[in-house]
Amino acid sequence: MSETPDALKFDFNGKQVTARPGDTVASALFRAGQRIFTRSFKYHRPRGLLCLSGKCPNCLMNVDGTPNVRACITPVRAGMRVTHQNAYPSLDQDGLALVQRFDWLMPVGWYYKTMTDPRMWHAAEPFVRKVAGLGTPPSLDNVSGNYEHAYRHTEVAVIGGGPAGLKCAIDLAIQGEQVTLIDDQPALGGHLRYASQANASLVDLIAQAEALPNLQVLTGCYCFGLYEGNLLGIVRPRRDPNDAEQLIHLRAGRVVVATGAYESPLLFPNNDLVGIMLSTAVQRLINLHGITPGKVAVVIARSPMEEPVVAALREAGIQIAAVVPPESVVKALGKKHVTGIETRGARYTCDLVVVCGHRIPDAGLLHQAGARLQWDGKKGAFVPKDIPASISAAGEVTGEGLIAPATLPPERDPASKRAFVCLCSDVSSQDLVDAVDEGYDHIETLKRYTTTTMGPCQGRMCQLPAIGICARQNSRSMADTGVTTARPPNPGVTLGALAGARHHPIRRTPMHYEHAEAGAVWLDMGEWKRPRYYQAKPGAAEKLCVKEEYRAVRERVGLIDVSTLGKLDLKGRDIGRLLDKIYAGRLSDLRPGRTRYGVLCDEAGIMLDDGTVSRLAEDHFFVTTTTGNLDFVHQWIKWWLVGTGWDVFTTNLTPGLAAVNLAGPNARDVLAPLTDADLSSKTFPYMACRTAQVAGVSAILMRIGFVGETGWEIHFPAESGPDLWKALLEAGRKYDIRPFGIEAQRLLRLEKRHVIVGVDSDATTNPFEAGMAWAPKLDKDDFIGRAALRRLSGETPRQKLAGFIMSEDVLPEDGAAIIVNGELAGRVTSARYSPSFQKAIGLAWVPADRAHEGAEVDVRVSGRLARAKITEQAFYDPEGTRLRA
Amino acid sequence: MSFLVRCPQCGNRSVYEFRFGGEVKQRPAPSAPELDWANYTYTKVNEAGVQKEWWFHRSGCRQWFQALRNTLTNEVQESFFPEELM
Repeated sequence: MSETPDALKFDFNGKQVTARPGDTVASALFRAGQRIFTRSFKYHRPRGLLCLSGKCPNCLMNVDGTPNVRACITPVRAGMRVTHQNAYPSLDQDGLALVQRFDWLMPVGWYYKTMTDPRMWHAAEPFVRKVAGLGTPPSLDNVSGNYEHAYRHTEVAVIGGGPAGLKCAIDLAIQGEQVTLIDDQPALGGHLRYASQANASLVDLIAQAEALPNLQVLTGCYCFGLYEGNLLGIVRPRRDPNDAEQLIHLRAGRVVVATGAYESPLLFPNNDLVGIMLSTAVQRLINLHGITPGKVAVVIARSPMEEPVVAALREAGIQIAAVVPPESVVKALGKKHVTGIETRGARYTCDLVVVCGHRIPDAGLLHQAGARLQWDGKKGAFVPKDIPASISAAGEVTGEGLIAPATLPPERDPASKRAFVCLCSDVSSQDLVDAVDEGYDHIETLKRYTTTTMGPCQGRMCQLPAIGICARQNSRSMADTGVTTARPPNPGVTLGALAGARHHPIRRTPMHYEHAEAGAVWLDMGEWKRPRYYQAKPGAAEKLCVKEEYRAVRERVGLIDVSTLGKLDLKGRDIGRLLDKIYAGRLSDLRPGRTRYGVLCDEAGIMLDDGTVSRLAEDHFFVTTTTGNLDFVHQWIKWWLVGTGWDVFTTNLTPGLAAVNLAGPNARDVLAPLTDADLSSKTFPYMACRTAQVAGVSAILMRIGFVGETGWEIHFPAESGPDLWKALLEAGRKYDIRPFGIEAQRLLRLEKRHVIVGVDSDATTNPFEAGMAWAPKLDKDDFIGRAALRRLSGETPRQKLAGFIMSEDVLPEDGAAIIVNGELAGRVTSARYSPSFQKAIGLAWVPADRAHEGAEVDVRVSGRLARAKITEQAFYDPEGTRLRA
Repeated sequence: MSFLVRCPQCGNRSVYEFRFGGEVKQRPAPSAPELDWANYTYTKVNEAGVQKEWWFHRSGCRQWFQALRNTLTNEVQESFFPEELM
């Protein structure tokens, strides 16, 4: 280790730091002389390395832009950029440390006691956010896209690569099981890695594990959740900046939890000073990293727990000033760094305090999975019991071999404003005592009131002492006090890992690029991109473009891409029966060559969807659905077919077919030269359908009129989309044809009072309220919703969907309130400015007694009321003569 | 929620591949009293135990099937195409 390759240099707060192979960020910084690693959440107290195993909040740093990274388990990579968090200007000189002088102003539950007025919180918030906190989230435009999800399966997952887990994984693999072994440390071995005597058996075990092909090892990966069905959530951090942070969904047949036990601090005043470390951390520094963490040490331990660390200290040449029992400690001395320990009867000067703390079974995953945690006084630990059947535990996590370092609940009064229980959010033993006095005497309410156990360490450092204080103050036992509930994720997971790769599916219609070329301004409809309108000239205003498109359809001819409609092909002998059952209307008597409008209702009579049903041949139907409801309708049809034995085959043709609607007084003139079908109203009347050739392409033509003009909806193979689109525009050139978008279509249909299900109706609308009483055929023997609709047909609805014309020149927004007699009485569902009326028109829910011709209601527009007149007829061409022309 | 559902065609799959279709209920005859229809439409048993349910394998074979699921443990005990019982 004498030579240091250049490759192991990294940047810390703008300075180069040299690391050795095997270093973590924390060990390299410690070797380089860094002692303060973080400033505490609230008081900005200096904090140094404490656990060195990724369990405490004391070394959270920003690594390559990711905040709150645990420096002590992050291996050093050449060129990585590390910065400190939550200290101004620096870790060593943090001006905000002044805050702790005012801790008397900040009792437990400070927020709840002071921020009782919203204005107060708004005034204080910017300061509080700056002072209290952890890392800053990366800015949105600077988020690395490198996140991905992986899905894996294994017969047995073993969590924890210490001696127990390692042995267990090897045994199972030898028996022939497919085993995955997961460990959060950079290498396997658990506590054997930092034991003073080099462990020959560990080397053997690792070699054995590596030789087994059916044993897969994931080191440096942490498991944050054990979910139902033995699903494990595992994070594999980036190995280099170009790597992806991976969230592994590992599904296991069985799970062995061998997470071991971790060490947590003891409680005494100033127990958080820099230089006070847990004994396992000291062993790690000495034996794993070859670092001498101090010159003179005091060890706080109940004998014989000090033995392993004392051996390590001796080996490292550190002088041991004293080994003192935990009960005798009065306080730690020092300001930024520990300078000594005061015990009852003595004072020791030292620069290192080694705490042999509580040994806590790392049973969080077992608790999540449903195991109970039971207090064992001798072991001084809550140990897992009643572990679910397909899960087992091995090693120290079961409580095996543990002894208690200090009595719990504590014998002495624990209260001190400087004895920190919760390092994550600076909660002292005094705060907990006060909170219990204030009535938060249950461990779960105590947790929520004080936020103890709710910080980044998720209770690993603080849970046991907090339970101890809660028990003592209530004069109850540890067992009766119990533990707080363990929930995933523990430890924390980045939002990026949970979100995974950043991709958003987009569906483009076959004519997408023709639209783009024509200046389409896009509207997202689910995954689909649809032209909202076409910007004829760059910078042209939407209003003018839409008006031009509207005029083309009303006066000449327009063309719209309706490929996003759901398109279902139904074949078989029993389709008539099926459609009569699932549509409210009657469809079995539809003659081949005819199209009919259909409404689907559920059993409660609620309108689910609508569309056209065309009978192409005796046993061949073609059904359209609204853009967003295709999957639902297709599944609905399949569901009602289950068990009927009916001869019906359904095929979703949506992706395979393009569709356009050609509409306007000149539509026939445009289409006629391109098709072999006779388009005269006599042979191809309104609501007829044919299969024919259009510009050499086989197509289904339906004469329908959503926009209220003579027109054909043409469905044809998607691959011919661009060709046919261009052919129609070319043929329409002499009539000054225009492609039109959704916005013009919405206006055109609104003038015809055509309802859009899901826009003008909602999840409570039945056809009677929506003005479609003609749609359900109640004399049919049976259909979905018949019972409910029969009942509804005899009732007067409370509200009705009605058309309205504004009396003055204002345009209400969609959703605007309808006011009757000064009270809220309904809402506008669609409103547009109608060029035909030169007034705004729309559809609105109004009280049933107002839903008649000539009635008046008020609409709230820009904060004031405007009068609107109800009209029962379509606004445009109410007789439908243009449609049938 | 991360349990497995056994599709009778595709085998055990993550529950996220499926659409839940609710309790299996007997649809009343068209002539049945209104109360029966109201119960069928609006009332759920919401069994605390083993319940017969509809499931649709949305990200798989796209078939509807029925399953016996313990609502307390989310264990899917059995699943089948109802046609096969008829």
